Formats: sequence, structure tokens, C-alpha cells
Amino acid sequence: MTAAVASMAAKQHEITLLTRDGQRRPILCGEEENLLAAATRQGLTLPSLCREGSCGACHARALEGEYQLGPHSTSALSAEARERGEILLCRTAPRGPLTIVVEQDLAAMEAPAPTERSAEIVALERLTDDTVRLELQLSATAEGSGIQFEPGQYVTLTLPAGGVTRAYSIANTANWEGRLEFLIRRQPNGRFAHWLASAQLGEPLQVCGPNGSFVLDEASLSPRWFVAGGTGLAPILSMLRWMGELQAPQPARLYFGVNDESQLFAMEVLRDLQLQLPQLQLEICLWRPQGEWQGFVGTPLAALERDLPEALARGEQPDLYLCGPPALVTGVEQLATSLGLAERLRSERFLPN
Amino acid sequence: MFCYQCEQTYRSDHANGCATSRGVCGKDAQTADLQDLLIHELKGIACYAKRARELGSVDNTVGGFLLYGLFTTLTNVNFNAARFTALLQEAATLRERTQQRCTAAAQQQGVAVGPLAAPAHFVPASELGQLLQQAPQAAITVGLQEVGEDVVGLRALILYGLKGVAAYAHHARMLGQESDEVYAGVEATLALLAAEPTDADQLLEEALALGRLNLKVMELLDAGNTGSFGAPQPTQVRLTPVIGKAILVSGHDLADLAALLEQTAGMGINIYTHGEMLPAHSYPELHKYPHLVGNYGGAWQDQQQEFAAFPGPILMTSNCIIEPQPRYRQRIFTTGPVGWPGVRHLENHNFSPLIQAAQALPGFTTVPEQEEQITIGFGRSAVLGVADSVIEAVKAGAIRHFFLVGGCDGAAPGRNYYTDFVRQTPQDTVVLTLGCNKYRFNREPLGSIGEIPRLLDMGQCNDSYSAIKVATALAEAFECDLNELPLSLVVSWFEQKAAAVLLTLLALGIRNIRLGPSLPAFITPTVLERLTAAFGLRPITSAEADLAAALGRSAA
Repeated sequence: MTAAVASMAAKQHEITLLTRDGQRRPILCGEEENLLAAATRQGLTLPSLCREGSCGACHARALEGEYQLGPHSTSALSAEARERGEILLCRTAPRGPLTIVVEQDLAAMEAPAPTERSAEIVALERLTDDTVRLELQLSATAEGSGIQFEPGQYVTLTLPAGGVTRAYSIANTANWEGRLEFLIRRQPNGRFAHWLASAQLGEPLQVCGPNGSFVLDEASLSPRWFVAGGTGLAPILSMLRWMGELQAPQPARLYFGVNDESQLFAMEVLRDLQLQLPQLQLEICLWRPQGEWQGFVGTPLAALERDLPEALARGEQPDLYLCGPPALVTGVEQLATSLGLAERLRSERFLPN
Repeated sequence: MFCYQCEQTYRSDHANGCATSRGVCGKDAQTADLQDLLIHELKGIACYAKRARELGSVDNTVGGFLLYGLFTTLTNVNFNAARFTALLQEAATLRERTQQRCTAAAQQQGVAVGPLAAPAHFVPASELGQLLQQAPQAAITVGLQEVGEDVVGLRALILYGLKGVAAYAHHARMLGQESDEVYAGVEATLALLAAEPTDADQLLEEALALGRLNLKVMELLDAGNTGSFGAPQPTQVRLTPVIGKAILVSGHDLADLAALLEQTAGMGINIYTHGEMLPAHSYPELHKYPHLVGNYGGAWQDQQQEFAAFPGPILMTSNCIIEPQPRYRQRIFTTGPVGWPGVRHLENHNFSPLIQAAQALPGFTTVPEQEEQITIGFGRSAVLGVADSVIEAVKAGAIRHFFLVGGCDGAAPGRNYYTDFVRQTPQDTVVLTLGCNKYRFNREPLGSIGEIPRLLDMGQCNDSYSAIKVATALAEAFECDLNELPLSLVVSWFEQKAAAVLLTLLALGIRNIRLGPSLPAFITPTVLERLTAAFGLRPITSAEADLAAALGRSAA
């Protein structure tokens, strides 16, 4: 699995933020980007409300350097203030290196980096020949016993001997007990899989995270269509469980695909979820069923090719959440693009490791 | 979307108001449109409820829904579009029920129900896309081309003032204080707006009538607060944290705080107030809980950094919530009218998830060596309790002037005016304050005049009622008119409760109020001219000039 990597093709300028407590924090910002967005992208939290040059919350002062100040409300930044070099971070794009005086202490600006915590195995369950369910108990830290993350995010797991680190999406939701659940496909010849084959309850692991931007668009009221291939179900399960906890009202359907009956897993979990989330429709897709399969035969992509145009014809524009192997992700991306739904698609690739 | 209900609305040389895909507050266009539709439906319900009341059929649960619905649309209260689609359906059901009740009452008396205004007949679409297509007919600017911006602005003044009234009335209702007069007034005001009145004189008169209704509502809320928790008393409040598990409670709802204090008693969790919850410490029945340990942070606009740094969960009981940042998104909870998509919402005082979070999070493990405190709790009971000393000090010339500097705080840089103003008040003057604007200056060492502190914190914004009672009592003591008192009002507004309070002050005939940091965008130059002529209402200028003017007037 890989996280999305932002590509910043435009020219980047070095921006130095001078903080209230006298510290210097460099960031990079392109000419097409504003300083607030650049700082946010680089893990800083600065005061902001509207991000449209209207409220004045991201007020700061340019000490030196050239910049372009975009349209803004005069009540947020007057002409006199502009003359004095005052700026709104959300409306300022650099034209060269810049030094900016901000009104915050550095500690308050810096979002926590993904933290490293020790954990131990509290459940290890074989779901199919090549899929296991792993549950970890994190140790408490100075930050407390719980684990906070957005549904859909991932962590990296490092084996006790070190050296082998793998990223896995979290299948449960944020909780105060410090429990993490994963659905892991055991790759033939994989080092992590090899270790997992003989792992025992109580064995330690190092966990680092959370990470990732494959998360729900919480503000959208559109129907949510989830597409999962194999253990790509993990982040989707986290999202669905979260919807259940919040009693989210959006219509939801899940296309879950595996090769055949022997690879099916988590069916009981999904049926339980339907009790919590009655609007959830399940479409289980088997590519090559071996027995008397009554459900959909084919990949989730084929099921989407059948259902998406119909939905669009009804005027329904679903948000698409997709996690699975590269072929599935690429296929669904192409389908979504051809149907004008590219902007509604959020995806994460699931790579063998 | 089009919205210009709060002080931070987008302003330019060409037009005022938030009209893009996202308002300055963070509300997206979809949510804004759904809120407009909800208001439209509430008007429809009110048409039937008012008529039914006239026919002798009264159901105040309808009024409760109207209050709650209006409250959800205040600035920085509810950003969750899903909540509004649900409320629209609830409103449609309630409209139908109220219509049936009204029809039955009319039939019983052999009279007609109507005619009623268009919102009474509005049926919301069941599908989101169609619903959003209905939104333009519910916009605040409906009829602009025909009636002009003055009339639209006056309608907005009444609607926004009514939202403030509803928020206060909802808080009072949560403390068991209700009144037929208030419900009737809310229904009548919504029904008036449903009829889209076009007479500016009538609208101005209705706005002042709403101000009078708000005085009644603030009285109810005062009775709710003091009846439930005792009269506020001067109280030292700790501003620095103490070691231990912690929960932060923000917003205005004292009933929520009381329930949480009860549920956490003896659990080793400390409760901190934030923003407008600060005055809670001065109420004896809340102060009695030893784990209500102090106040944390400043006014609402600083919450993104303060909440991120707070080592426990946070409860938002009313406005002002702004976009929860990743660092605390999983540990902030909403309750009552508040909502944010993807944030856990707690109902019916079931605070178990909040308490569980507090137990799992570390709380404060280190604290500053130097403890910091301020004194609050100068409500009307405390101030009038020393009225003789105050009157004596005025007569002896020890107190030359009173300033009421209060209202909402906000992010606009121009709000430093209020800090400057208070800092520059002469030593022989007293500053009364209320609302969250006080965070601009409530740590200033202003000292005292004899035994009377120069800075008197009277409480939340609704404690304007307390300020009015004090001013009235002083006027009686000095045998003068309110406007003849050595008192100047310097008001800071941000959202709609401030609009309600302003209408109350105007309805009481209080003149020469200074309003800032900028005037409401919905007050047109023509309307401002009339308000200035009638009440001397004017915008703030500079701290120096406004102080000089106030003291000059006083000396004259």
C-alpha cells in the first residue's frame, strides 16, 4: 500500500516563519500556492477561519522578500496595513524567499508528527488461507492510552528484530483503549508474512502513525459507494464502522471483491454492520466462484460498470471510496473519469509487500 | 448561498456578504442553503401556530422546536448538513401536525384558518438536489429587486435578532423557564417575516418590539440561571491549570455544565471552562464542585490552537465552534444545537464517551509555577449589594464615569480597539463588561476605587439583563433618565445574540451606543441614518476619540 504523494511541480521558495517565541521555522511554498496552504501541507497549524481573505484570522507580517497579495476584504486587511507589510497568509503567494513574522509560538503551530508506540499482539486469527486478522494493544504513552486517527488512515508496523517495516490500513475506529485492528494478506515469501505465520499472542511490535489522506469527505451528503478488493476492505471497514458510530445518514453501498468463496472473510462483521447502518447495501463480488454462488460474478469493477451509469441516470452522484490491488484501482479510476466522477473518487492502492 | 448575518461577513467596495461556495465562518453553500430552507419551514410552522394560538389552541412544544431550529442557524453553531436534512423532515412533520391542530380549532369555532403566507404552504422536496433547487425562494434577499435593500436589511435585522432571542430562550428552556408570551412572540415574529412586509417604519417598530421581547427572554434566562445555580457572587477564578485529568467545556449552556459536573464528581477529573462558560464559576451551585477548577484559554477565535494544546476532551455546548483541527478532532464532542460533520455528538446529557476520553487522555502533567487568577461574578446582585458605596463614590466624585464595554469577540484585527479603550479609561472610571469580548482586557490590572474594582465582569452576553437592572437602579437612585447617567455603552458585536441585545437596548431608549468593530452589513446607510437620528447609534472610531467624546459628554 502507498499513501498519495503530492507532486509540487511549481517553483518552490524558501519561507522562514519567525514565531512569537523567537524561533525560525522554514517551509517551502510555490508561486501558485498561498502561505497558509503551504504551511498546512507541511504539518503546521496556523490560525485560519475563512481561507478566503475575509476574516483576518491568518494575519501576519512580511519582514522581507517579495510576494503577491490576492483579493481580500478590506476589513480584514486595510490599505494602511498593507503598506506596513501586513499580510493575510491565505492570500499571499511568494515571488522569492520570504521572512514572515507570525503571531504564534512554534509549539502551538506544529502538528504532532506520527508517533512511535510499542504494542503487543492480543488477537491473531486466520480468516482464509492467506488472510489474517491482527489485533494489537498499544502501550500507554504520555499522550494517554487511546489511539486517535481518521477512518481510512494507516500505520506502519515494525517487527521486533527491526529491519522489516510494513504499512497497513487500520480496520477499526479511533478508540480510547488503544486497540488497533488489521486485515493482512500473507504474501508468499513476504518477510512480514513469514514472521506472522509463527507469531504468538503477546509478541511485541512497533507501531508508527497514523498517516494517510484516504479519509471520508465528512461534509458531503452524497451517497457513499465503497469499493474494496481483498484486504483493501480494511480502511473501508474503518470508514463504515465510523459511519455506524456517528449514525451517519448518507446512503452507503459496499462492493467487496475476492477471487472465490475460499477467500471471503469478514462476512459476519459486515452483516453486523448492517444492523448498525441499515442503509448499507452489500454487493459481494466473486471473480471465479467455485460453487453455487448466488451473488454477483465478476470483479467489483464489473459491478460498478453495471450500476454506476444507472445511478447517474437517476441523478445520483455518489462519492467513491476505493482500496484494492492496482488493477482494480486503475480500472475504477478510468471508469470514474469516463463518467465524470473523477473528483468524487478517493482511492488508495494496495501493493504487495 | 448568500449570508451576511455576522460581523465577519465578506466585505468589499462592491458588495457585502458571503456568496461563494463557503462562508467566512466555514459554512459551506449546501449547509447555508439548507439553513435558509429550515428558516422558511419554521416560518410556515409559525403561521399555523400563531393562528392556532389566536383560536385558543396552544402547543408550546412547537415553540421549543422553533427555538432549537433557529438556534442551529446562528453563526458558528451547526455546520453539519446532514443534521439540517433531518431537521427539514422533522419540520415538515411538525408543520403538518400544527396545520391539523389549527384547522381543527378553526372548524370548532366556525372560522377560516387563512389566508396564510406562502411559507405555510411550502413542501420541502425529499431529494437533496431538488431541495437545494428550492433554496432560492427561502433566501434572505428574496424580493430585493422589488422592495430594495433597506427593507431586505430590516427584515434581516429582525430575523437575525430573532435568532439571538431564540438562543437565549432555548437556554432558558433547558433550565425549565418557559413563557407563553415568549412563544407567542417568536411565532408572531416568524409569521410577520413569512408575510414579507415592505413598510420600513413598521419593520423598525417590529424590530424594537423584538428587543422588548428579548428583555423578557433574558429575564427568563436570568431566572433560570439564578434559580438553578444561585445569584452570581464575586469569585476568584484560576486561569492556570492544575495537575490531573481534564475536560474543557465551551459555549453558554450552564445546564450542560451542571450535568457534567454531577457526572464527574469524585472521579478525579478536573473541569475547565472556556470562552463564555467562564461566568459559571461565580454561581454558587456550580462553584461548589471542587473539580470545577478553572478557566482555560481565551475567546472563541483562538480555539484551534488552544484546543490542540489542551490535554483532554472538549465539549461544545453552543457557539462558537470553528473547524476542528486534526490534532483534536477525535476528542472534541458537540451537544445540543451544535454540530460539525464527522465529530461525535452527545445527546440528553449522556456524557459517558466524553468522560471515557478524559480518563484515557493524560490531562495536565505539568503546570506553571506562578498561579494566575482573575475575579468575576459582578452580576446585578453583587453590584446592587454595594449600591450605596457606588452611589456615594459617584456623588463624592471618586467615580466620574461608567463604561459598559462588552459583547462578542472575534478575529478581526480592528478588535484591538476594545483593549486600547479599556487600558485608556481614566482611574476615576469603572468598566463593566460581559460577553467574550472581555478576554481582550480581563487580565488588565485596572485596580480599584476604594473597595470597588475598576473592572467588573458581569457575566455572559445575556447578562446584559443584569447590566440593564443595575443601570435602571442607578437611574432611580440618581432620580434621572437612563441616558442621563454617567454611563457609556461601547458594544462589540459578532453574531446574532448581540443583535438581539442591541435591539433591547434601543427599545429601552438607550442612546449614543458605540458599535463595532464594524457595523452589520445588513444595516444600510439609510437605516443607519434613522437609527443614528433616533438613538444616536454610531460606529466606533478610535479609542482616544471615543473616550474623549464619552467623558466630554459626561462633563457637559
